[in-house]
Amino acid sequence: MKKVLTLMLAVFTLLAFTAGCGTNTTDASKTAETAPQAKAEKVRIALVLPATVDDLAWCQSMVEGLKAVQKTMGEDKVEVVTSEKLGSAVDAGAAIRQYATQGYDIIIAHGSQYQSVLMDIAKDFPKTTFAYGSGFETAPNIFAYDPQAQDGGYLLGMLAAMTTKSGIVGIVGPVESGDAVKFNSGVQQGVAKGKADVKTRIAYTGSFNDIVGAGNLAKTQMSAGADILTGSSQQAVGAMRAVAENKGKYWLSTDMDQSSVAPDTVLAAQAYNWEKVVTKIIDLRKQGILGGQHLTLTFADGTIELKYNEKLADKIPAEAKAAVEQAKQDIISGKLKVELPKK
Amino acid sequence: MEGVMNSAIIISILATGIRLATPYLLAALGEMFTQRSGVYNLGVEGIMMMGAFAGFFATLHLGSPLLGIIASLIIGALMGLLMALVSVTFKAEQGISGIGLYMFGWGLSGLLYRLYVGGITSIDGLKEVKIPLLSNIPFLGPIFFNQNILVYTALALVPLSGFILYKTSWGLNVRAVGNKPEAADTLGVNVVRIRYECLIVGSMLAGLAGAFLTIGQANMYADNITAGRGFIAIALVYFGRWSPWGILLGSLLFSMADSFQSMVQVLGINFPYELAVILPYVVTIVALAISFGRVWAPAALGKPFQRGTRG
Repeated sequence: MKKVLTLMLAVFTLLAFTAGCGTNTTDASKTAETAPQAKAEKVRIALVLPATVDDLAWCQSMVEGLKAVQKTMGEDKVEVVTSEKLGSAVDAGAAIRQYATQGYDIIIAHGSQYQSVLMDIAKDFPKTTFAYGSGFETAPNIFAYDPQAQDGGYLLGMLAAMTTKSGIVGIVGPVESGDAVKFNSGVQQGVAKGKADVKTRIAYTGSFNDIVGAGNLAKTQMSAGADILTGSSQQAVGAMRAVAENKGKYWLSTDMDQSSVAPDTVLAAQAYNWEKVVTKIIDLRKQGILGGQHLTLTFADGTIELKYNEKLADKIPAEAKAAVEQAKQDIISGKLKVELPKK
Repeated sequence: MEGVMNSAIIISILATGIRLATPYLLAALGEMFTQRSGVYNLGVEGIMMMGAFAGFFATLHLGSPLLGIIASLIIGALMGLLMALVSVTFKAEQGISGIGLYMFGWGLSGLLYRLYVGGITSIDGLKEVKIPLLSNIPFLGPIFFNQNILVYTALALVPLSGFILYKTSWGLNVRAVGNKPEAADTLGVNVVRIRYECLIVGSMLAGLAGAFLTIGQANMYADNITAGRGFIAIALVYFGRWSPWGILLGSLLFSMADSFQSMVQVLGINFPYELAVILPYVVTIVALAISFGRVWAPAALGKPFQRGTRG
């Protein structure tokens, strides 16, 4: 009998709790209904990164772009959350799905490897905007962004060819694919245009994040005669650091300006202005366009910038700078078209 | 002119090969002692990352790479102590606890870096030290005698390890403990103590190998800086048949192949890059496959010691 009583008591307590929770839920949903109107302006952005937020390359450039967006639009208007070190697309997929479930408006998966994962997830969240890059394939709620890395590569290549003293420009590449190939091809064409007898030497480490390997490959490049070097991906800082050990050897950076770490080594940089890209995505979403566009980053719209290191301005011959600036104008006007590598 | 260029290129390939071999040599010699005592430590990669961070951090704040080296040795010893506690005292499965240590080292080094440094920061690392007279020897001088102090240390550790292992009573005890721990125990050798010592010494060398990457090579730190080198070092212990000279041979073979393929790429010799980057691995695997003879390994490798039971 006592047992039955205890059981009854337990059941009633449970019911009371459930009822209580029920009321709470209604309250919560009521506030949730009113909340979006009050905070309708707030955009919630989730960022998924293959490497670290402070890699001084591809990932950090996007992080700083988002910070700039927050600064311009107001911290209270834009919320940004980040997950880093998700190089594996499967792990990234779990994070992306979770962000989508939590109701983030825009989810940026910052790597070409996330394309197929996004294609899969985006179908389940038709009201969420997804973006990834580099890439060009889109879906109704997926933007693909696509830096024209070959254009900046071309300008840096010209600059290198007209500045080198040894006549050899060295590229420390990661893996022969995607953006690296685009960038390297641009550099090659630029070098050939800048000065006919200057050689471009390309070598790859076979990794995206082995900074020690990149540093060693840069040392090999230099011992074989290169005096101006460049290279892409997050391992590139390792190569840049190795170049900085040597006087009279210089580095050209891409993705972002790396001169803060090696002010006496970085001559110039191709830098991506992600602020403009993300602002465009936010604006399009406000207009009801959730995706479906291939957003190219170009010099024409200012989403790619060529930055010179003021400190080393005297290392670049005046005619080199003039020629590069002219080529930039020609790229913007469409007069000059940098070829993409043939596949 | 052509001939001069060629010998300069060959010197560069060989000198780079010696430099590239250093982290493998340090970590593999350490792991050799550990395995000789009957414990395999798969956490080398994680210990290297911790050593890399400790060396970098101490150099950054104390301004001296030598203090960085000491810091990496201390951190390596602590990681070895942890592994010994788990695998020798608590007798945990060695493979699993080693992998655990690897993940712990990776996570903790990344976390500490984020908390206390953050962002790419460069340091003044070790400089090349030219050895007087010897560095003037044509050809050999620039290859062997114009390297940094950790390269010399690693090379000197090869004969030293051989001496310790085969000519000292401690080395005899280590070998006994790794082969027949029960017999060693009956003869009054403290098996647990020897295994602790080997794990600590081995991990100190792994920590030093990590420090070589940050203060002897990259002059900076980044997440996952070891990029698999610790696991290659473990493979080289097997390749070298648990002998210092065998490990030296394996490290040099792997690193020379790596240095050679880099130069082949840089010089634009028409060779597919995909094949070039796997060349060191292929050469090592082929050498391992064609080397014949009975494969010997420490008999008690991987078996926790329990007094009164037969291994």
